[in-house]
Amino acid sequence: MRNLGIGLLGLALILSLAWGFTEYRQAAGLEVVAENQYQRSFRDFASHLDQLETDLAKGRVAATPGQKVLYLSQAGSISEAAVKDLAQLPAEENGLSYIGEFLNRAGDFTRTLAYQISMGHTPTVEDEKTLAEVHERLLTVNQTVQDLLYRVDTEGLAWVDKKPFLNRLIGFWQAGTAEAAAEGADGPASSVRSGLDQLNASLQKLPPFSYVGEYESRSVKEPLGLPKQEVDKDTALKAAKEFLSKIGYPENNLQFSGISQGPLGVYIFTQDNLFLTVSKRGGKVLIYRDQRDLNERTMDARQGKEKVAQTLKELDWNMVLTSTEDFGGYLQLEYVTEENGVRYYPDKLRITVALDKGQIIAYDATPYYAYHQKRSFVPKLTLEQAKAKLRQGFQIKENRLAVIPVIGNKEVLAYEFRGIYQDEEYLVYINAQTGVEEKIQRIIKTPRGEYLQ
Amino acid sequence: MLANKRVWLGVIALILVLILTGTVLGALGDRTLSQGSRGPEVTELQKKLVSLGYVVGNVDGIYGPKTKAAVTRFQKERGLKVDGIAGPQTIKELKLLTGESTNAAGKTVGPKNVDINLLARCVSAEARGEPYIGQVAVAAVILNRLKDPAFPNTIADIIYQPLAFSSVADGQINMAPTSSALKAAQEAVSGVDPTGGALYFFNPAKTKNKFIWSRPQIMQIGNHIFTR
Repeated sequence: MRNLGIGLLGLALILSLAWGFTEYRQAAGLEVVAENQYQRSFRDFASHLDQLETDLAKGRVAATPGQKVLYLSQAGSISEAAVKDLAQLPAEENGLSYIGEFLNRAGDFTRTLAYQISMGHTPTVEDEKTLAEVHERLLTVNQTVQDLLYRVDTEGLAWVDKKPFLNRLIGFWQAGTAEAAAEGADGPASSVRSGLDQLNASLQKLPPFSYVGEYESRSVKEPLGLPKQEVDKDTALKAAKEFLSKIGYPENNLQFSGISQGPLGVYIFTQDNLFLTVSKRGGKVLIYRDQRDLNERTMDARQGKEKVAQTLKELDWNMVLTSTEDFGGYLQLEYVTEENGVRYYPDKLRITVALDKGQIIAYDATPYYAYHQKRSFVPKLTLEQAKAKLRQGFQIKENRLAVIPVIGNKEVLAYEFRGIYQDEEYLVYINAQTGVEEKIQRIIKTPRGEYLQ
Repeated sequence: MLANKRVWLGVIALILVLILTGTVLGALGDRTLSQGSRGPEVTELQKKLVSLGYVVGNVDGIYGPKTKAAVTRFQKERGLKVDGIAGPQTIKELKLLTGESTNAAGKTVGPKNVDINLLARCVSAEARGEPYIGQVAVAAVILNRLKDPAFPNTIADIIYQPLAFSSVADGQINMAPTSSALKAAQEAVSGVDPTGGALYFFNPAKTKNKFIWSRPQIMQIGNHIFTR
């Protein structure tokens, strides 16, 4: 009996040892997988940086527009690949963001310049100076990374700094941030990770190089459609209440629930399912959302759009519908301003209408107020001249003048041609002043509506 | 006698064809489906429901109580008659919301919404239980990162960036998104951003992280503070 007990205990010990060993083997296996993934990303990163640096050098020296566009756009896509590699390396949430930012900006600058050259622009002295600056900065970055790689290959440089054993045991170890790691770290890096942290910190100290690219056009620094003067909370509340009564909530009991900061700063109001923001500047309703449940629908898409048209009239909007997406119980609509036959695409209003009552349940006028301004475009080309710029075989279905946003925080007046070329439908924009082909969009038909790519 | 036999053969063949089309070739929309229905159409129905964020349990081709509950919720959220039965109107609606896109020549080109599901998963994992507008805001933060040079350039790179989202680290990102998260992702992709350009968000009750508290705050929606 006693022997049996000992035997059972022995068996249990052997089983648990076997289990522990298997777990250990599996954990070690996973660690190798992760390590390999990091190694691969880091080596890809180094190789992409090297290509990027070479392309920038070639882009600097190239004399013909064709070669220049080739190397600069190549640099643009390789910088994206390098950012992708970087994003796969372990880091703190703000860890290597300055390296990423530098690479993204380098890519943005080269892509923008390539686009401009393809539009017939000759690089200015300023452009060449910035290109040289980007290249020289990248030379240093590339050199640092190649050096880290060399040390990985020759010294077996560790991936991360060894954690002190005791801390590791109780799991209190916390990685320092890039800033912390950089302080007092002038000597050679003790690991790949700390080397990258040092590089990151050194890039943080450099001033940004100046150019106007795509990133600049994407955040609103100054809402062009809003007056400078700020309104107080009560005025904003009044505007909110008036808005609500016009869209079908005559009785409302909105509560102030906060403010937001920034160029598009707002007063926030809420009530049950309602969320509404009113701009501090000018007191305009920017965003409104009714988060209520939908009831059974009582109207079709056409009737829903008619209801919206009525409501928009009451809200003093005079815009044309440019896009409809049918989600069944509700429609998502886009409107833009149109004057004298010219469409202003940046001045956009987004509406969602519920087909139970035909009530607007979402409203977003942010783009309109961010970009609306007085414009003074005069077309230099006639419609016929613009048509002649289209490729042969492009069958035009519709055309009009339109103001569209282009790279570099700019707007241009263009002829918009909707048409078909070899089984695909497109919108092609020909600049109405210079005659260059500014932009191409492909039209896809989803079951819900048209979709631009 | 011979003629009679032919008639019988014809009838048998017809019955066989009917059975075969009913079970093997049955396509969603051929018949009304309700609790107790079985077959490949039910599987198709279940897949469509799941892709829109409605939980059906196992995708097994059996219209059980869970599938009925999913259909009921779908009908309620999409403004249909709520009866838990997948009739012509409900099926038409499901096809409208999940159908493939085509080019001008009518050639199918896929659903063309590759990133929506991942975006919605992240919203679902990070902001489940937040008000709807707060979910749109979380989706908008990810999309704002796309446009910011300090972040990677694809949705997947941003979401899977090491240590960027806690829901990735703990695996919640792999759970199917809710229908509300999918709608919120869709709305943010259409361009709506309630935060006016936020790049980070956090729950003030749950984090002491110095970096995140040091960011310039824009606004609070639900339990999340949104920052630049």
